[in-house]
Amino acid sequence: MAAAEPSLEELRQLVSEFRPNRGHLLPALHKVQDTYGYIPRSAIEVIARQLNTTPALVYGAMTFYAEFRTHPPAQTEIAWCSGPTCRILGGDRIREALEHTLGLPLGGYSEDGRYALHLGQCNGTCSEAPQVWVNGRVVGRLTVADAIRLARRIREGA
Amino acid sequence: MNAALQSLITRARESYEAWLTNGRPKVNVCIDTSSLARGADETLRIIRETVAREGIDADIGIIGSWGFCWMEPTVTVRTAGGTRTILYGNVTPDRAEEFVRRVLVDGEEVPELAIAVVEGVSNEGIVPLGEHPFMQGQVRRLMANCGIIDPENIDHYLARGGYEGFANALERTPEEIIKEVLDSGLGGRGGGGFPTGRKWDFLRTATAEPKYLVCNADEGDPGAWVNRILMESDPQLVIEGMLIAARATGAREGYIYIRYEYPLAFQRMKVAVAQAYERGLLGTNICGSGLDFDLIVFRGAGSYVCGEETGLMSSIDGYRGMPRIKPPFPAQAGLWNKPTNVNNVESYANAPLILRHGAAWWSSVSDAKDKGTKMFTLSGAIKQMGCIEIPFGYPVRRLLEQYGGGMRDGSVLKGFQPGGPLSGILPASEIDLPVALDPYRERGMFLGSGGIIFFDQHTSVVDLCTYFVGFAEDESCGRCTTCHGGTQRAVEILRRMAAGGGRDSDLDKLEELTRTLVWSNCLHGQFALTTVKLALRYFRDEFETVIREKRDPAGVLSGLIRYEIANQADPLLPEAADICPTDAIVETHEGWTIVDELCVRCGACREVAPGAVRVVERFAQPAAEPTAAAAR
Repeated sequence: MAAAEPSLEELRQLVSEFRPNRGHLLPALHKVQDTYGYIPRSAIEVIARQLNTTPALVYGAMTFYAEFRTHPPAQTEIAWCSGPTCRILGGDRIREALEHTLGLPLGGYSEDGRYALHLGQCNGTCSEAPQVWVNGRVVGRLTVADAIRLARRIREGA
Repeated sequence: MNAALQSLITRARESYEAWLTNGRPKVNVCIDTSSLARGADETLRIIRETVAREGIDADIGIIGSWGFCWMEPTVTVRTAGGTRTILYGNVTPDRAEEFVRRVLVDGEEVPELAIAVVEGVSNEGIVPLGEHPFMQGQVRRLMANCGIIDPENIDHYLARGGYEGFANALERTPEEIIKEVLDSGLGGRGGGGFPTGRKWDFLRTATAEPKYLVCNADEGDPGAWVNRILMESDPQLVIEGMLIAARATGAREGYIYIRYEYPLAFQRMKVAVAQAYERGLLGTNICGSGLDFDLIVFRGAGSYVCGEETGLMSSIDGYRGMPRIKPPFPAQAGLWNKPTNVNNVESYANAPLILRHGAAWWSSVSDAKDKGTKMFTLSGAIKQMGCIEIPFGYPVRRLLEQYGGGMRDGSVLKGFQPGGPLSGILPASEIDLPVALDPYRERGMFLGSGGIIFFDQHTSVVDLCTYFVGFAEDESCGRCTTCHGGTQRAVEILRRMAAGGGRDSDLDKLEELTRTLVWSNCLHGQFALTTVKLALRYFRDEFETVIREKRDPAGVLSGLIRYEIANQADPLLPEAADICPTDAIVETHEGWTIVDELCVRCGACREVAPGAVRVVERFAQPAAEPTAAAAR
């Protein structure tokens, strides 16, 4: 699944619009991730050079944020909503069930890269609680059994 | 009025009027994050396709949220003559084609999906919008355009009074603008309540250049989505507010920092900013007034503590989003160490109203000590999760019963949480507290930015504390040991308690932690254990029961309960065994049994076979124990 990393030249082109000391680090990281689905390791140095800073500072900043990934996305990305309404309506039992059905902790990727499980933050679609997002689409008003069936279908590749 | 702005407004009014009176029926679908969660994009697509296929002459458009989030997708239908507009709810994709045929081909109304009559006389049992229980007592000022205008069309905003506040600001001195904002009594809407006018004056009188404005749209409190509703439904209102602030403070550049989790709000704000640039409302020499102001829409990357103003500035600057040590305050040293003012989305959004209608009008909405209106989102174990705008002073009970529709069937109110994970929880007995800043401050918590969450008897307070403190732990920036170490320690204690290992000394330890964390640098650490502090005050019995009796009154803590077979003859047992994610339900020669070591207490078995499995207390009651032990 691991696609070849983009070339340095391609990365340099991609971030060439960004300038030092203009608040461009997060926009540059976003642009790389929007393009490749993750931040390839080589992009750290390219961005550092472009922004006249150090790879350590770029890497340090990047890893502070939950949504920058150093790993290509899986085919099916499941995000479990950790919000309070989901929790009150049994969401934590859904997490238990998902983790055991998929054999992954939150933040885990399946070995073949087909699916991954993440922690999602509440975005105020609480009338769908408890919910998960499958590749960004809400699957809501779930029972635990629904969540297990969904996870099994994803695991079996259906 | 500024001539350039006047002509922009006039042209926008003409085009809006022409659109309203073009003799075509209008179907507008709410496209916001809440409606998308219910398939509104599909609803819109089906409506468009049906209209195209049938050759119906109608305008199909998009609107923002009316606040009826639990009835999304909402759709408005306006008759060709423009005499009647009906708001419909639950127009899900499976209903969309029939719906649009009925309203556009057959020319009828769909009473079973109708929420209210927005324009025109009421009939057939469809109430006028103002008489709908969800709308009674609401005062929609910030939300005046929400659900009515196309959020991606600046002309709609301009035609309905938009930028008139900014026009008034252009005719006044910065001091006069700040005085108007001060006179209004507007307090910061992010939860602090600090007078917005004073903050603006700090920036105005700062000597260093350049000066920056920041709009904090990092609405990270789970359960709060008021800023999202505004940005997705009426983004120009925020831009106009920032323009007024720019005029008042001398700032030439602004940032709207939007959390990663709000992609649609980010996109809408980008569109709105681009349209404002096109009209000359942003950039250099705005409307010929000599005012220069650039506005950048900035996307966060998933960090709660970036909602703290100095963490947010670190994030824009391009560092880890760690809050800084104050002083210096942002007005002295903010972005790139230059003077900066940070306000919440809703704070900026009030400025156009104040400048357009005057401070006296703005503050006269109620007699409450806290001035103006405030948006709230209601969620939890309630019937109607939605967004409201009300004057301060209403009792929380009214928010729950009238706007929230009361608790869900089978749920009894146990408590509620205003103000996000750093605020704290209150018991049901406090439900008559008014929505105001003081009562919560007096209790050592805060009203917060607008989310109110109601929980029921099936919620364990120990679990809620574990959740909120766990959240604070996860999101701690790591600077202060009090915060990152303290939250970690508190979570360990709470988890151990929930697993049945609670000790008598735990409550003292937790209390000591709540006293220690107040020495953290920023609000995040200072308030990280507020939930625990208030829970120990109001729900102490529950902690004591969990620790001493190893029993959870809510019956959910996984370490204190056990699942067992209730009925060996239940025909659904094989299904229960099949759904179990850990294969804990097995059939032996003695019948079905649940292997306790494997069971993760997810409850799926009880969902598929409610009569076959039951939840029991894991630890037998002390009184019964000796006899049971003696018998063995």
